[in-house]
Amino acid sequence: MTAIARATRAMLFAALLGIASLLQMQAAFAHASLIGVEPVDGSVIAAAPASFSLSFSEPTSPLSLKLIGPGGAATALDRYALRDATLDIVAPGGLANGTYVLSWRVVSEDGHPVGGSSVFSIGAPSANAPPSEAELVDWPVRIAIWLARLGTYVGLFLGVGGAFFLHWIGGRSRTATYFGTASLSLGLVAVPVSIGLQGLDALGASLSVLSDPIVWKTGFGTSLGSLASLAFAALLCGLLAFRLNGLGGRVISLIGLLLVGAALAASGHASAAHPQWLTRPAVFLHAVGIAFWACALIPLAVAFVSRSADAPMVLRRFSKVVPLAVLSLVAAGLLLGVIQLGSIDALWRTAYGVVFLVKLALLVPLFALAAVNRVWLTTPAEQGDARAVLRLRRSILAEIALVVAIFAVAGAWRFTPPPRALAMAAAAPASIHIHTEKAMADLTITPGRAGPVRASIVVMTGDFGPLDAKAVTLVLSNPSVGIEAIRRPATKPGDGTWHVDELTLPVSGRWTARIDILVSDFDLVKLEDTIDIRP
Amino acid sequence: MKKSILSAVALLALGTTAASAHITLETQEAQVPSTYKAVFRVGHGCEGKPTIKVRVQIPEGVIAVKPQPKTGWTIEKVKGKYEKSYDYYGTPTTEGVKEIVWSGGSLADDEYDEFVLRAYLTGDLKVDTTLYFPVVQECTDGAAERWIEIPAAGKVADDYETPAPGVKLVPKK
Ligand SMILES: [Cu+2]
Repeated sequence: MTAIARATRAMLFAALLGIASLLQMQAAFAHASLIGVEPVDGSVIAAAPASFSLSFSEPTSPLSLKLIGPGGAATALDRYALRDATLDIVAPGGLANGTYVLSWRVVSEDGHPVGGSSVFSIGAPSANAPPSEAELVDWPVRIAIWLARLGTYVGLFLGVGGAFFLHWIGGRSRTATYFGTASLSLGLVAVPVSIGLQGLDALGASLSVLSDPIVWKTGFGTSLGSLASLAFAALLCGLLAFRLNGLGGRVISLIGLLLVGAALAASGHASAAHPQWLTRPAVFLHAVGIAFWACALIPLAVAFVSRSADAPMVLRRFSKVVPLAVLSLVAAGLLLGVIQLGSIDALWRTAYGVVFLVKLALLVPLFALAAVNRVWLTTPAEQGDARAVLRLRRSILAEIALVVAIFAVAGAWRFTPPPRALAMAAAAPASIHIHTEKAMADLTITPGRAGPVRASIVVMTGDFGPLDAKAVTLVLSNPSVGIEAIRRPATKPGDGTWHVDELTLPVSGRWTARIDILVSDFDLVKLEDTIDIRP
Repeated sequence: MKKSILSAVALLALGTTAASAHITLETQEAQVPSTYKAVFRVGHGCEGKPTIKVRVQIPEGVIAVKPQPKTGWTIEKVKGKYEKSYDYYGTPTTEGVKEIVWSGGSLADDEYDEFVLRAYLTGDLKVDTTLYFPVVQECTDGAAERWIEIPAAGKVADDYETPAPGVKLVPKK
């Protein structure tokens, strides 16, 4: 057994242990709840505080503490001390007047992350509405996620794909096996690490808490968990395939290739798009196509660089089947692009579209090189033309570089929601639940942004019983911008809900919503709360 | 954008008209226990429409209710059980009128009228509180105004858009 194989086996074992312990963690029952906060939520204080404090019902440990300033910029609060169940946080110096949001996420002893935020103002509230939860881009985490993704792609496409190539096309050699195993090892490290990083990202926590089990559990709980499991299985198949000969190796390497497709189809933006019966198989085909094409590059390069005698034969066999793979890869890729982008101008108007364009731009020289190889170089190289062989070798190395660059660019999609999802987010409803002793109501405003909207109301008695109201009226007002009550009677279409259809909310911001429920002729219940309407 | 601002302004205008035309009680103070003559003053219809029905809910603790007949209007006395037994000059009383309905007439929006009943305010009512008589005013075309809002603790009738008419209860002199 070689040193690499031994190291790989040790790594594998460690990774499996890690995953097994993650799976064993149990959901717990009670979480810590916040019982006090300084400054008090909604308060206006005269001068900037020297510290903040959060008191919980049980001891906690902080995952992420942020202060979002009046301008919307977030500062991470990393100086704090735990005193029993109270968290004392040192406030940053030089806080200007205005409204702040103290945003916190902690892990309670039972292992559950709990989060929330508290709003306070120094001097006087800011003129504009309090800043909403702003995104603090944690660059170290983001770069680590991107690197882990790149490593995952290299392991899946070059490693698992490489194993498939060696078994089904040919070109097996010590060097090819070495590169393949190295790619797989990179993937076997990158895949588990990406779970922890995903956990950090989901919790809004920084790299310093990566060792916290809750981070890994959270990461595994996201859709990345299923991707990671399948990808890990695919990498293991790849590793196994490198050790096997004959039919066993062929079968295992094929399973590995199919698992690559399944892994990518299990997670990510594209698989989440509708219709899923179309997008998931498309992602599967796209991934298998990439794996098939990319997989050839390392064995081919190795074969030509080492001047292997059967290199021309391998190349010929590969050239016969590659158009099929490229066709399915391109067709599936274009289909997904169309679904995700939704419109042409999204190509240059959104970050997602720009990544798409860069990826296309890298694909052009890749396809050009592939075409040159196939049309002009393959036949002379097969016939032993030394200049053609030299050119082919250079061309294949350039292709490898381009493929890795494309993986790197595709990895950036992790951070750019597709226009389809952006449009969905913009159309997402705003909703509130108002609960009083006498009655409760769910109010949903669709879309949850300024402009023409529809409102849907579900009313119930205070103890969740049915409430057959005689009439329901929705009253919306926005006193901060001088909009007095907009009053609309709701109609009852017969599905148990109440509707207000023709409604226009002229401005975004925090509206006051009141629902007047006429329970009987002489009994009117009024429920009131605020609802945030996006611009 | 201009259009939506305009429609918002239109909504504003519509939204604020309803509130001003309250139904009120003529006598704003009553002693307990004693007999009280409640005069409901109706000064408006519902958004310009004539009133065709006035319904008054009798609160708990108010018994021996007798409406005053009114020319052109039919009176209906909805009877039911009280929550407890009340003492009416030594007679335990457990049921009686819980709602009075005047209907069949028509009172134009630009006319004024009074609807009268006489009742006994039992000693179970707390002094230094306000006793509310929720009133539903029904008009033509299914329009209605509901003067049924009872102020929560710490609030007064003026905090509400459609408060029920009330009478302040004071100790018997
Ligand atoms: Cu509720």
